[in-house]
Amino acid sequence: MSVLALSFGFGLITASVLALAAVGLSLQFGVTNYINFAYGEFLTLGAYLAWTLSHLGLNIYLSAVIATVLMGVFAVLLNQFVLKPFTKKGVPLLFLLVVTFGLSLFLSNMILAIWGPNFKSLDVARETPHAIGPFLFTTSQLAIIAIALVVMGGIHLLLTRTEIGKAMRAMSDNVDLAQVSGIDTDRITSFTWLLSGCLAGLAGIVLVINITSFLPSLGGEFLFVIFAAVILGGVGSPYGAMLGALLIGLATEMSAVLINSAYKNDVAFALLILTLLLRPQGIIRMAGKA
Amino acid sequence: MSPYVYYIATLVVLFFIFCIQTWGLNLQFGTAGILNFTYITFFAIGAYFTGVAMMSRPDSLSNMRYILGLSLPFPIAILIGATAAGVLGLLVGLVALRRLRSDYLAIVTVSVGAIVFDFVNISTWLFNGADGIAGIPYPFNDSMPGGPLDPNTYTFFYLGVAGIFTLVLGIIAFRIYDSPLGRTLRAIREDSDVASAFGKDTYRFRMIAMVVGCVYAGIAGGLLVGFISALNPGGWQAGETFLLYAALLLGGRGNNWGAVLGAFLVPVLFQEATRYLPAIQGHPELIPAIRNMIVGALLIGILWFRPEGILPERKFRIKGIAFTPKRKLAEVAEVE
Repeated sequence: MSVLALSFGFGLITASVLALAAVGLSLQFGVTNYINFAYGEFLTLGAYLAWTLSHLGLNIYLSAVIATVLMGVFAVLLNQFVLKPFTKKGVPLLFLLVVTFGLSLFLSNMILAIWGPNFKSLDVARETPHAIGPFLFTTSQLAIIAIALVVMGGIHLLLTRTEIGKAMRAMSDNVDLAQVSGIDTDRITSFTWLLSGCLAGLAGIVLVINITSFLPSLGGEFLFVIFAAVILGGVGSPYGAMLGALLIGLATEMSAVLINSAYKNDVAFALLILTLLLRPQGIIRMAGKA
Repeated sequence: MSPYVYYIATLVVLFFIFCIQTWGLNLQFGTAGILNFTYITFFAIGAYFTGVAMMSRPDSLSNMRYILGLSLPFPIAILIGATAAGVLGLLVGLVALRRLRSDYLAIVTVSVGAIVFDFVNISTWLFNGADGIAGIPYPFNDSMPGGPLDPNTYTFFYLGVAGIFTLVLGIIAFRIYDSPLGRTLRAIREDSDVASAFGKDTYRFRMIAMVVGCVYAGIAGGLLVGFISALNPGGWQAGETFLLYAALLLGGRGNNWGAVLGAFLVPVLFQEATRYLPAIQGHPELIPAIRNMIVGALLIGILWFRPEGILPERKFRIKGIAFTPKRKLAEVAEVE
């Protein structure tokens, strides 16, 4: 089995985790038009909630589902009670970004205070990997890829086939026009936060299933890799986020063939910088977001 | 002298260093509207380069790894530190300042902070990883006429050194604010389209603010490393940047006196007041975590209740009309 094929397989797994996270960030950015710097902590919180639920005796998959839903609710509440009042007040973008930045400090330290500084791990059965063609996957890794594919398909159907998805796309294009055409922008914003929170929570959970042990700094450290995927694909475009996630996921893991794998994050960083220098609007361009 | 005097002297040195940092951040965030979410990285770069420029070549017997090792005197070393911070600021600006939206710069700074931290930690062979560097010589102490000073007297000597740096950098910060450069930066902050319509090269001006602000961070870092003679990467994570934002926003962004007040209230008073709370058995991170949660909540609270801070930015008067930079030109025209 070639090293290249193996690392391509790892790349697919990383890409699946990234896609969930990047689409959640990108959808929210598209609709609300500001970046959420606390998004990394959403991932962390999702992972810790799943850990706690599974340690309360729940089945790991059930814990994951409940934690995902809880994160969606959490994101809606956070928007309702912290971010929405600020946007209603009409604070400048600069301040709104500082607010989300402050939230990330608050949340990461809240997680540290509640769960402590030690490594935690989700008890997923350690199975022997299956050889599928040239690839080598464990059952849970296959599950991660399947989850990502199903969710991406669902997001596509949501955005193209449903009233609410179309309203989200309309808001992403132009909030004022969406509002005058009778779209309840508050409701759509809440729904977007619900979706963004769920996707972040789910991404955090599958991330720790894949890397096995985690710390409170988990999501904060992963955040810029998500940014790299979102910007490479095209900010505000969910399909761009999927594409960016695939490219960043494959690039970071396959770089391990050539360089020390400890430096794989640097590959994501280099791609982010190159994108900003050469094509700052990303692969799929969205008007007004760059 | 009582130990309290030395304690106070140490606090004053730290206060000076925080003042320099909040002035630099005020130039970037308060005056130019640049969101640098990893200000502390520039501080750390300045500290690191100042430190390794002063240290002698790495000892082959010791396990500590570091670059340079030039055995230079402090004034030249701190210049190297300031330059290194400025160059990194320039690079970040080159990538991100041309973008229209402030999100992009913020994203790049967050990513740079994460990657520098990551890179230093994993590159043990080059930067000594998480252990950092230690044993940096005390500035000027080897060339004292009567031999090296004892640690207590040295604290007072260093208070003078830091005081001189603070005075000079403070005068420059206040001068910049009132200069055409400062006015242009505030105009760009309020409305960059209007500023460019008046023929201002907004990219160049924002770049100046970015680089000068980072040089301030680098000098502050150099001063700190000369004082504590050790540096490890764990001490410069995102929380430290938040502390400075909280200080500047509480004191009053856009106001250099506000920056001074904030530097006293948040990093000095609040940090010191909570530093000696007993650690909780079995959870040593609890108190620092709660302290950071308070800083995060404070940041959001200030922005909600008093976004202009305790000492708001000065209002300008034109023909008897007071207007804050927030008010749009159109409103002023209406009043007239």
